[in-house]
Amino acid sequence: MRKVQNRREFFAAVLRYGVLAGFAAIGVIAGVKSRRLVKEGRCVRGGVCSGCDVFERCALPEALSAKAVLDGGGDASGR
Amino acid sequence: MIRKSLILSILLLAVPYAAAFGAERFPPPEFESGYELPSPTTPSPRVDVFEYIDAVVLFAALSVGTYLVLKKRSRRWIFALMVFSLVYFGFYRKGCVCPIGAIQNAAMTVFDKSYAMPVVVLAFLILPFVFTLFFGRVFCAAVCPLGAIQDLFVLKPIAIPRWLDSSLRLFAYLYLGLGILFAATGSAFVICRYDPFVGFFRVTGSFNMIVAGICLLVIGIFIGRPYCRFLCPYSVILRQFSRISRWRVTITPDDCIQCRLCEDACPFGAIRSPAAKWRGEDYSVGKKRLALLLVLLGVLVVFGGWVASRASGWMARVDWRVRLADRVYLEETGKVSDTTDASAAFRATGEEIKELYAEASDIEAKMATGSWILGGFMGLVAGLKLVGHSVRRTRTDYEADRASCFACGRCFTYCPREHARLDKLKNKEEGK
Repeated sequence: MRKVQNRREFFAAVLRYGVLAGFAAIGVIAGVKSRRLVKEGRCVRGGVCSGCDVFERCALPEALSAKAVLDGGGDASGR
Repeated sequence: MIRKSLILSILLLAVPYAAAFGAERFPPPEFESGYELPSPTTPSPRVDVFEYIDAVVLFAALSVGTYLVLKKRSRRWIFALMVFSLVYFGFYRKGCVCPIGAIQNAAMTVFDKSYAMPVVVLAFLILPFVFTLFFGRVFCAAVCPLGAIQDLFVLKPIAIPRWLDSSLRLFAYLYLGLGILFAATGSAFVICRYDPFVGFFRVTGSFNMIVAGICLLVIGIFIGRPYCRFLCPYSVILRQFSRISRWRVTITPDDCIQCRLCEDACPFGAIRSPAAKWRGEDYSVGKKRLALLLVLLGVLVVFGGWVASRASGWMARVDWRVRLADRVYLEETGKVSDTTDASAAFRATGEEIKELYAEASDIEAKMATGSWILGGFMGLVAGLKLVGHSVRRTRTDYEADRASCFACGRCFTYCPREHARLDKLKNKEEGK
């Protein structure tokens, strides 16, 4: 009985750490993709600056517009 | 406790009801007087900081929840944390970012070349998963605002048969599959759009969804947490992770004395009684049944895929580009004489109609493949459920079901061993 319990726990542990590795992989994919898109000069958030991780160093028109408003200078598009 | 829950529930919901219906009475905005809509790209000041604070609060709430569930074993404190989570993540942060909806962001990150998931959303998705993998469903117990609002309404719970409970859960798998499929094709975030409780948190929302939320809360008076059990797509994943969690909730703090006092303690039907003694003569019958079910599993996968593929056209129409292409086609072929706002706006952009048709065809093709996968997945889930019910489990004590247990802590006080532990603790403190 004890052996069975240990075997079950072993498989559960393998699965558990496998899933954790999967999460790490998702994190890496998201990070790499974000960097690649920024490098290519493309928006990573579909034009929504709010909550964007690369907003501070982003030079796309939407981001420049948002930064101009945040700096108190009005919208860069002239509105 | 029940009376307190009821009063608190009414107080919490009185304001949202009034304001949600009140919002409908405002006159519609005037769009024809030359008013220019401001650009929506500007983030509000400090909004990023708030998102990081939210992630830290989530981590802290999960940590405290784990301590309360596994170490302190106090329903009262779990309830207090649950109310805090409802107020903070629900009414204060308006139910967003939420781990349930973050599943769609993850799907979009994997399938959409032009989208990357923000770090905070990733943290919201993964933190509850990691805690569940190690400590069971503490997120459901005290941190999820959707679970919390339903938990307040568990007033007269009735037991439902296990077969019905298990069957109704198929809706959650379907919802998860549809949520991922629509997000992966960039069609819609249906999990967010059809969140039944976010209207209460935001004090506004569509009338239909508010009615759906009220219905779920009323049902929840008798059938505990119906959304969590039968609809929540995040719950489907947490259930599987909870099966392999390192530590988990136990009804008794030490050894079960089989007093059966906890038998009906769980309003969610998550307490499993000891397995009946195995009768040797059932072995060959069981083996044949299992073999049949394994064959049936393959049939269900193919059949599910075929059934879902029949609905792929309907599913593709969830995407606005496909609907727009349909509309433009009708106008182009003269089957309708007028235009809609969407088709007029499309023509104003000067984009090629052929490009729109090509994009719509691409989405339809993706949806056709996706619907086969979705149907196959549903067939697999149904088949595995049948196999699971036919496999004999060895259980010698009363236990909380690893997958179904929300770790709410209601069962703790039903156990006389728990009372003995608390008395011992009390004496120890008084001795000091």
